[in-house]
Amino acid sequence: MSMLRTIKPKNARVKRALERREPQIVENEKTVIFVRGQSTSDIVRNVMKDLYALKRPNAINFSRKNDIHPFEDTASLEFFANKNDSSLFVTGLHSKKRPHNLVFTRMFDGRVLDMIELGVDDFKAMDEFDSPKSSVGVRPLMVFHSDLFDTHPKYQAVKSHLLDFYNGHALSEIPLIGGIEHVISITAGPLDPDADINDVSASASEKNLPKIHFRVYTLKLLASGSKLPKIQLTEMGPSIDLSIRRIQDADEEMMKMANKRPKVAKSDIEKGLGKKKKNIETDTMGDKVGKLHLERQDLNKMQGRKMKGLKVRPAKNLTSTEDIEVDDE
Amino acid sequence: MDVAQELANYAAANSTATLDRATPIISDAGLLAAFDNSPVDSDEYKMNLNQHLLALTLTSTQSLISSLFALPTKSTSSGILTILPTPTTILPREKPLPKPKPLTKWERFAKEKGISHKRKEKDVWDEELQDWVPRWGKGGKNRQGEEQWLHEVKAGDDADLDPAKTAKAERKARIAKNEKQHAANIAAAANSAASASLSTSASSSKGKGELSQEEKKNLRERRKDELKRSMLISKTATASLGKYDGKIEGEPKAKGVKRKFEPTSTKDFKGEKESQLDVLNRLEKGVGKVKKSKKGSAGAEGELNVRKAVRFQGKVDRANGKSGGGGAASKKGKR
Repeated sequence: MSMLRTIKPKNARVKRALERREPQIVENEKTVIFVRGQSTSDIVRNVMKDLYALKRPNAINFSRKNDIHPFEDTASLEFFANKNDSSLFVTGLHSKKRPHNLVFTRMFDGRVLDMIELGVDDFKAMDEFDSPKSSVGVRPLMVFHSDLFDTHPKYQAVKSHLLDFYNGHALSEIPLIGGIEHVISITAGPLDPDADINDVSASASEKNLPKIHFRVYTLKLLASGSKLPKIQLTEMGPSIDLSIRRIQDADEEMMKMANKRPKVAKSDIEKGLGKKKKNIETDTMGDKVGKLHLERQDLNKMQGRKMKGLKVRPAKNLTSTEDIEVDDE
Repeated sequence: MDVAQELANYAAANSTATLDRATPIISDAGLLAAFDNSPVDSDEYKMNLNQHLLALTLTSTQSLISSLFALPTKSTSSGILTILPTPTTILPREKPLPKPKPLTKWERFAKEKGISHKRKEKDVWDEELQDWVPRWGKGGKNRQGEEQWLHEVKAGDDADLDPAKTAKAERKARIAKNEKQHAANIAAAANSAASASLSTSASSSKGKGELSQEEKKNLRERRKDELKRSMLISKTATASLGKYDGKIEGEPKAKGVKRKFEPTSTKDFKGEKESQLDVLNRLEKGVGKVKKSKKGSAGAEGELNVRKAVRFQGKVDRANGKSGGGGAASKKGKR
């Protein structure tokens, strides 16, 4: 923490930028940082690449290796979080003990809130699917299947993380026609009947935990004759099968703080809370008046009076051919 | 892969058929998410995974879409927008809730007195110019005194007085004062924030045995008042009751009882009558007299503080070199 110097704003722009980083009542969308550990596998890198593609533009991809082990030391994650004003991390790692490892970290107030570790068991990249892809920045739909996401604490953590990852930022409105392009489907396999469900803490149960299937489909709305359309899905990728490894739960006190909701009137939200409306006023007659700021007009590009004498002619052919000949020599 | 299999795959990929679910699918339209809490069918899962996943997704997505299409809409210039409700799933925030901004000294005062904020216009009307001029800045109203071409010098002023210079100095002094107050407000805010964070961290780490911040503040305030009072008392502990003592910097001002006077003109004659009757009553009973006779042990010279007079005499004696010690007790001890 102390590695970051506190910046004293020297001008209004910097001041505004710093103010935007301060705690807000209505928060901006969380930014994800994708960062690689010291050793990664090809699979992990490709998984991260596809997850990044789905999360853009609210994601930063770190291209270099970093000596990060989130479960051992979180200092560097906290440093990156403060530096980039981001609160979600995906760390890609690969070791003999934990091959193709992905660590999802969530931050609160510049400190690590909770972490989940997922192993990639099977992966098919987005490029391998010969299908249309969703556009950048379009909000996905998210669907979770399995009772485990409702009952099992580890799966609840995974659900919370993944939901926060892609759809955590609540929107106030969305165009349904043209505003929905794809759906992220997350399914946990059925629980092995032999395994003990309640044996949550034992590491042996890690192997018995059913896999999580991450699938992405593009969505097509078909006319059905009623107001409600029928949908058709085409897999667009990536298709990832994940297994749960270590999970670090949030500190209770910290989670309580993080789950606090502001008390705001609904009318305030509708008015666009947190977004200062500049240059819009209502005059005494009750009319809405807006002020527009235009860029300075470039007078050099302005079309003046057209005259034959002022016409810009292309250079004469004779001279240009001579030039070329000189160049050739 | 044979043709039949391929056809089946194609049919599955293009189907819009949904599955029957044991429990209804819960959708959280605010987050564009749906949760299908029925257990996944084990056989289907093992047999053909991807097709089952597709069917599951189709079912839950269809349910989510139907809940989304049931929401109210509004039409804007950019098309029809669906208004999403607030999400039901609680996800952690990125940063804590913003703390209320600490009030400045003036804001605290204004709040206490019920003064509402009045926005100052940037421009002020100039009667002479018959135009709006800026309140401050270039050609501002606050520098008119320094920028005018002719200055009025009063009869009693010094010959070398530069009115423009003094006006500028005054303006600069006002700026400096404001900056000082601003800095003090910032320091106070930082101080309170630091103490608050200190107390919260202390309370969280040490448990319930510690005092809360409110209690600590109360204690501090009480101690401060006590110190002030004892200092004021000690200052009066000279023969002159502190009249000729040097002032200490930042010395608290002794606040006496404020005299209150009845209004000279009043419509409430009943009250006036009562108060005057009260005076008469007191005269009759001799309230003041009894008190005085009790207190004034020195008889006619009731004003004299005997203890102080003795001590003063002792000091005088010491100064004259009559005795080294002063009091009778110390004398005894020396010899």
